[in-house]
Amino acid sequence: MKRIIKRMKNIKVVQWMIYFTLALSCICSIIFIHNNHSLYDRPIAEVVSTTVEETSDVTDMHGNKDTLFTQSIVAKVKNGEELGREIHLTNDYSTSGAYDQQYHIGNELFVSIDSEIGEELTGSITDVKRDKYVLIVAWFFVFTLLIVGHKQGLLAIVSFSMNVLLLSFALDIYVKYYDVSLLVVCGICILLFTAISLLLVSGFNEKTYAAIVATLIGTVASMSITSLVIWLTSGNGLRYEEMQFLTRPYHTVFMAGLFIGSLGAIMDVAITMSSSLFALYERNHEISIKALRASGIDIGKDVMGTITSILFFAYISGSIPMLILSLKNSSPVGFAYSMNLSLELARALAGGIGIVLTIPIGIYTAIYFIERKRASV
Amino acid sequence: MNVLILLAAILLVLMVLVGGWQGAKAFISLFLNFGVIFFTVFFMLDASANPIVITFIACIVIGCISLFYINDVNSKTVIAFVSTMITISLLLFFIVIVSEKLMIHGFGEEGEEAIAGLSLYIGVDFMKIGVSVIIMSTIGAIMDVAISIASSMHEVFKHTPTLSKKELFKSGVSIGRDILGTDTNTLFFAFFGGYLALLIWFKDLHYTIGDIMNSKIFSSEMILILCAGLGIALVIPIASWMNAYFLVRVKTVKKEQSEKL
Repeated sequence: MKRIIKRMKNIKVVQWMIYFTLALSCICSIIFIHNNHSLYDRPIAEVVSTTVEETSDVTDMHGNKDTLFTQSIVAKVKNGEELGREIHLTNDYSTSGAYDQQYHIGNELFVSIDSEIGEELTGSITDVKRDKYVLIVAWFFVFTLLIVGHKQGLLAIVSFSMNVLLLSFALDIYVKYYDVSLLVVCGICILLFTAISLLLVSGFNEKTYAAIVATLIGTVASMSITSLVIWLTSGNGLRYEEMQFLTRPYHTVFMAGLFIGSLGAIMDVAITMSSSLFALYERNHEISIKALRASGIDIGKDVMGTITSILFFAYISGSIPMLILSLKNSSPVGFAYSMNLSLELARALAGGIGIVLTIPIGIYTAIYFIERKRASV
Repeated sequence: MNVLILLAAILLVLMVLVGGWQGAKAFISLFLNFGVIFFTVFFMLDASANPIVITFIACIVIGCISLFYINDVNSKTVIAFVSTMITISLLLFFIVIVSEKLMIHGFGEEGEEAIAGLSLYIGVDFMKIGVSVIIMSTIGAIMDVAISIASSMHEVFKHTPTLSKKELFKSGVSIGRDILGTDTNTLFFAFFGGYLALLIWFKDLHYTIGDIMNSKIFSSEMILILCAGLGIALVIPIASWMNAYFLVRVKTVKKEQSEKL
């Protein structure tokens, strides 16, 4: 008990204020999101009771077995003109749930009110109200990062939110003005993303400047190689079908996504290289360039594999559901894989090329900055 | 000439040039990991199998490849492996609860065109597959943090073996904090890049914030990003504690043995 009190006393007023504001905003936002129904134009209804009306076993033409259910739902409208009235809905769902879902009591749904027969409202379900759960998970994330990471956790959250806002703003500009090229917008974004993230992670010093320069050179180098490869092969083997919901030139969108995607990994390598080389220099100001280069390569070898595999898993895993659906629909294996994985594989490979290229680039920029510092001393 | 083959060849050449034999090994492990995902998908096709169990087994295999094949079997990699698996199990529970509440499984409206004409009633539980996707996306980052903490803590212990369990744990967490920022960054940007098309689509259709927040695709991507960050944060104390426990334990056992002699 004494220890706890002692620790409590050690916490400064500023920290108390931070904790207090955090807790307050957490509670307020959760209360708000549970009661924000009136802000939505679309009618929202909370499920009060459900009954399964019908069950049927089906087998599709590929021999897949599934069970279909028809659910009749009574729900209470929570906003708009029909506030407080009951609405009758029906819902079809399957055990696999690829494009449907079962609803339970307490779920909040967006509905469209179709007709009114006597006292009864009937309607159909358009979507699920998910915002409250997204918010709760977001707070979970914020608190875990703060508890484990303290200052670094806070900085990670700040840089994440700043980057999201920046990206959203940039896309607004791109969508509004048709003559702005996406690649130009993304180029500027990449510059700002790099500056924001790296300055937040390691502050205003030579180490960071070296990492920023290395990141930009690395990104440009990998961009050139990937563009050259796609141009040389005239895009053979890339299947853009999965991006066809876009009404825009998807080649450009794909390329822009590719560079933003590998940026984080390239930054990771660049800051690792420059901070470890600068640490070596701080320890021994007389260290030779040759020794710096040798230890840089050693560090690079260690990080190369793990960072490429982070990217690899992050990209490839997202295609698993579509792969399963295609294969279950008797697509030939090669076709299913090239259709659903080609873009992800290209992203992962291009990112890997960026990562590996940034190792020597990072070493030489760090050495250049160290030399400059040495000369000025 | 195929784009993918050419890119893969360039990556292999660069990895060998920069990293020598270790680079070649890194490339081989990418290749093996791709094989693991390939087979995982095939096992998931069986409607009677539980995709979450399959994912867990796949994670064990991936862990063996990335930790034991690249770095050999030793106390560092074994601890990293065990802490990765503990983190993944904890994360699994959390994700299962969240995705049941959120109903984010299956395909969203942006995929309508892609799934048109396909039979959707295939008997595979897409809720569980959604959980697998989240776990598989983060395993690379979780393993990276686990192995970095294990090797740095072993280094710290080698230089100053007098540290107590608590001090060791603290040094592990502080190492982890340094990686936390960059690793979450890597994942965030990877996801941003992957969903750029989707974000442009939202903007094109003039979705309001409310529409975006509640749409299936956006909330599932959000959950993916948040769970990835959670996984990276969770593995830090777990790996630090396991390393601290192990290192101090080995020290006391050695001491006892030398006292007996």
